[in-house]
Amino acid sequence: MPEGLSELGQYIAQATAGAVTAHQVRLGELMLETPPDRVVGLLTFLRDDPKCLFKQLIDICGVDWPEREKRFDVVYNLLSLKNNQRIRVKVATDETTPVPSAASVYSSAGWFERETYDLYGVWFAEHPDLRRILTDYGFEGHPLRKDFPLTGFVELRWDDVQKRVVYEPVKLAQEFRRFDFLSPWEGARQVLPGDEKAQEKGKTS
Amino acid sequence: MGVIAPAKPDSAAEAALSRALNDELADKGFVVAQLDKLITWARTGSMWGLTFGLACCGVEMIHCWMSRYDLDRFGFAPMPSPRSADVMIVAGTLTNKMAPALRKVYDQMAEPRYVISMGSCANGGGYYHYSYSVVRGCDRIVPVDVYVPGCPPTAEALLYGVLQLQKKVRRTGTLVR
Amino acid sequence: MSDVEIKTLTMNFGPQHPAAHGVLRLVVEMDGEIVERCDPHIGLLHRGTEKLIEYKSYLQAVPYFDRLDYVSPMNQEHAYALAVEKLLGIEAPERGQYIRVLFSEITRILNHLLNVTTFAMDTGALTPPLWGFEQRELLMEYYEQVSGSRMHAAYFRPGGVHQDLPAGMLDSMEGWIKQFYPFMKDIEHLLNENRIFRQRTVDIGVVSADQALDWGFSGPLIRASGIPWDLRKSQPYDVYERMDFDIPVGKTGDCFARYLVRIEEMYQSARIMEQCVAALRKVGGPVRVDDRKISPPRRGEMKGSMEALIHHFKLYTEGYKVPAGETYTAVEAPKGEFGVYLVSDGTNKPYRCKIRAPGFPHLQALDMMTRGHQLADMSANIGSLDIVFGEIDR
Repeated sequence: MPEGLSELGQYIAQATAGAVTAHQVRLGELMLETPPDRVVGLLTFLRDDPKCLFKQLIDICGVDWPEREKRFDVVYNLLSLKNNQRIRVKVATDETTPVPSAASVYSSAGWFERETYDLYGVWFAEHPDLRRILTDYGFEGHPLRKDFPLTGFVELRWDDVQKRVVYEPVKLAQEFRRFDFLSPWEGARQVLPGDEKAQEKGKTS
Repeated sequence: MGVIAPAKPDSAAEAALSRALNDELADKGFVVAQLDKLITWARTGSMWGLTFGLACCGVEMIHCWMSRYDLDRFGFAPMPSPRSADVMIVAGTLTNKMAPALRKVYDQMAEPRYVISMGSCANGGGYYHYSYSVVRGCDRIVPVDVYVPGCPPTAEALLYGVLQLQKKVRRTGTLVR
Repeated sequence: MSDVEIKTLTMNFGPQHPAAHGVLRLVVEMDGEIVERCDPHIGLLHRGTEKLIEYKSYLQAVPYFDRLDYVSPMNQEHAYALAVEKLLGIEAPERGQYIRVLFSEITRILNHLLNVTTFAMDTGALTPPLWGFEQRELLMEYYEQVSGSRMHAAYFRPGGVHQDLPAGMLDSMEGWIKQFYPFMKDIEHLLNENRIFRQRTVDIGVVSADQALDWGFSGPLIRASGIPWDLRKSQPYDVYERMDFDIPVGKTGDCFARYLVRIEEMYQSARIMEQCVAALRKVGGPVRVDDRKISPPRRGEMKGSMEALIHHFKLYTEGYKVPAGETYTAVEAPKGEFGVYLVSDGTNKPYRCKIRAPGFPHLQALDMMTRGHQLADMSANIGSLDIVFGEIDR
């Protein structure tokens, strides 16, 4: 079905007059890119247009690309039951630019956007109820960002003297062992003079 | 098919014991026993377990109560309310958000109370030890009596843990805890 | 008549509650006995699975998927295995695909057995769980024979399955399927025409087809509302195209319809199992892809040949590198559409792995479903939504 998908992508790009900045088909999946201010219009078009009919919002998630200026990618996955098709819409944003909420288009967007806000810190404008959903009640920070450490900053235990749970800085009995398989030297981060291979392989996850 | 057949009771010894009891009763009209032993017999024979199923271990815990492994025949009835429970089985991963609720429930239990930590997540953080939102072992929040290892521990392992707790109560049980 | 101000009562339901199906904290605003609004607080089982997956290799990430929806572990592994295979550009061999479909349907029966019987327990029937869990134990014996663990199998891996079925398993399964049909008839006798069960489930939590689409429902919930949508038929994966089975579709969209859909799905799953067992007697061959850069060699080989040893070492330490790309792959899990959005940057660790759990949007719609109902219907609604917090909170 890839030919049908890329035609669909072109049709959507033309019909929405500039909302779609890029579209491509990879691995049999169609992806559209759009700026934050046009996303609600694009989603409404995708839901209502007779050729699209993407009536179900399957998922909203974020991806963090810290090297980019607009580090977050908010990804919307949609499903059309009638046409048996899936489509992906990506919006690039950074820590301070809000994205208009899709809750007015799809009711299921509410919690997905709350989760993206909780885990990444992407602000959704005009969301009916934007607050933390998965992390702890007074949690500080946005865990799934690449600069947030795996073990976090605080851990808790019950203090018998104060008779309540207290938060303390994390102290692990054994450090998380990260094996760096991609650099030629185990653990070495410095670039040897003239060694370009180490430089490009130094970008580990 | 996975069920261990219980050892055949020694009929001669049992017969001798019941004869001795009956003789004693017929002779004096009462039987003398240690109060300690009597109370631990009563306590271990009817330990009601608080079902604190958090995650996957909760499913194995339910399996332990169902037809095949039947914890009920040990007197270990499931009791959803902490006020009337003796044992709390912490089954599953304890997260930072859930920890105050766990402590609250533990405080609502009446003495004597025991805690069984079930599964590697409750024992020491387990598979999620290095995560930012997981308490590395429920013994950071409540004092634990028996640790049952496994991911998840089979229902049989939990049964073994419960029997170990009964042994522990017999060993250390006093009137004042 | 003077104006009387009535304040709604805000009540906390959970997180430790026998009917909360795990750690659910519901803040319910009630007007007497009628629920006005309910606000589910989730995250009490948020373990940071997605963050942990980003620090593990692709093979090491497989067991995380078992622990998501822990009542139907292998379906989650299935979604992940399919996603990674799509990025790698490989396909599991035919026998591996048949085994996957067989165990997917076993897992579907496991899940529906737990759901239907505990749903009945929430509404007051205490016998169905006792009978149903013995069937679950028999199925978990198959899990144990094939993978070593009763629940978290780590059996479906990218490339196929880990190892082949043991001898005698297919005969044993045929025997199990034969006794399953009379067992299901017993459960239906207990519940279908039961006056109490019907009063507690009919016309409770009615969801129309439009609402179901809008709130992102999938699986038995959307089928009970009248939309015939099943990923096994519309976007088939593995060998589902060759299987002959029906999709039950409900009419009324209430709790009773969802229950009936699940019961019928169990019959259809047993039907698929029969076909898989018959096919597995004929189809031979490997159960995982032959490429030594992806699936490790057998242990006997590893101890003899130097290349096999090196492959084994490299695969279990560094793991295979997946080409850069992204994919969203979904399977028809027993609870709905379980999807994995996998982003790879060309290294041996996933860059981003978003897990789309079916229970997440379903629980979101609980507010819409319970408005105007009584508090006792809350547990019926939660039970029929089939909520498991491992997958919602991850």
